Amino acid sequence: MYMSSYFTVFKDESKLDINYIPMRLLHREYQFNLLNKFFQFSIESPGKMAQRVLMVGKVGTGKTALAKLFGLKIMQMAQEKGVNLRYVHVNCRERRGSLFMILQQAILNFYPNFPKRGYSSEELLQMLLQVLDEQNIFVILALDEIEALVQSEGADALYKLTRVHESRLKAPQRLSLIGILRELGCLEVLDESTKSTLQRNIIFLEEYSKNELRDILNVRAVLAFRSDVVLDESLDIIAELAERENGNARYAIELLWRAGKYADASNLQEVSPECVRRASSSVYPIVQKNAIFSLGLHEKLFLLGLARQFKHAKKAYLTMGEAEDAYRIVCEEYGEKPRGHTQLWKYVNNLSAADIVETQGSGSGLRGKTTLIGLPYVPAEELDRELSRRLGLNDG
Amino acid sequence: MMVEEVFSSKGRVKILRLLVEIGELNISEIARRAGLNYATTNHHLIFLEKAGLVCHKSFGRIRIYRLNEDNAHAKAVKMLIEGWVMNEKR
Repeated sequence: MYMSSYFTVFKDESKLDINYIPMRLLHREYQFNLLNKFFQFSIESPGKMAQRVLMVGKVGTGKTALAKLFGLKIMQMAQEKGVNLRYVHVNCRERRGSLFMILQQAILNFYPNFPKRGYSSEELLQMLLQVLDEQNIFVILALDEIEALVQSEGADALYKLTRVHESRLKAPQRLSLIGILRELGCLEVLDESTKSTLQRNIIFLEEYSKNELRDILNVRAVLAFRSDVVLDESLDIIAELAERENGNARYAIELLWRAGKYADASNLQEVSPECVRRASSSVYPIVQKNAIFSLGLHEKLFLLGLARQFKHAKKAYLTMGEAEDAYRIVCEEYGEKPRGHTQLWKYVNNLSAADIVETQGSGSGLRGKTTLIGLPYVPAEELDRELSRRLGLNDG
Repeated sequence: MMVEEVFSSKGRVKILRLLVEIGELNISEIARRAGLNYATTNHHLIFLEKAGLVCHKSFGRIRIYRLNEDNAHAKAVKMLIEGWVMNEKR
């Protein structure tokens, strides 16, 4: 059925945005209550203790949404009781896993013009506590993707964060932590004492089942779409596909949004299963997509060079030299001074750690020794389009 | 301190304007935004603090300055600068 060109199936697209936090998280009530119990003291007797909680679950199991929703609610409750409690959410990967940058983002909440350099992360931690003391603030610091912090700073950073109150015997304990991660395995590198301090309270978020995903999709469809435009069958298919993607609700919601976009693009009045099928073939796994959003400018440029090479070359791997050449061309296009080889090599390692690219040594058959870079997880065309859009020039 | 002593320096007026407009800043940032060098900025800030117009908080080695809103002269300076800037924008 065709409608005039300005018809859209959406009522409010923002309800499908990755940053939208619903006022109630379906099928996470138990975990929400658990969080409330763990932090009950922070409203009833603030400063008496500092809490550390880990939230563990795969991608799209609602970790970030749950933490943020909890943050909003507990701040409201604290305000009603006259407690100056603040929830600060920091994504460690976006802060390059640096304790310094993480603490800086936390302190900027209270001092927006705090100087950006000139001190160490240890000093910054003390400064943060000083600010909290002076303004009588209690903070729940949520460290999202804490793996990045452990990966880049080792055990030290978490040790410092968990032991920050030890030298302040009689002072109120102002800094509580929520660590958000995908698997507990990444904490193996920590020393025993930090591990035991952190792993006292763990909240596991299991993968969503098909029925649970269906419930979530139902609610989002009502919020985001005009009434009766999303067919039940379409929601069924999305729930099934997302269940196969490890019960990933974020994938489900993105698929729903994209299916709506296909319906709009085809001037359809409803989001049919065919729209979902077309959308599903264009959505690449969400893990890489998130990681790509938080890359730095030159990492994005490097990746764009790779994507463009892979788009045209029918090869599984590019050599480091070929990748560097492609990167330089992209730099020229964007008017950026290219980074040197060592820096690029670090980028490749980061991209590989984030599962965006795959690397291997060149081995026999190639002269000399070089790193081979593959792009097995993400379609090159899609990556090119996405990066070009984010970098602000038209598709090349 | 006499009013002419405070306003006799372009650098001091720039610093006061910055603190009125932005609120709190550390010395290096004040120097950068005012286009002054660090030593001059530091010198002016010490002068202004003695006059009671600004005050600072220390975080380790870092000093963050702001207008001393408890001081009647500082309040008057703030009103003057805000009124002036508003007229500039019209």
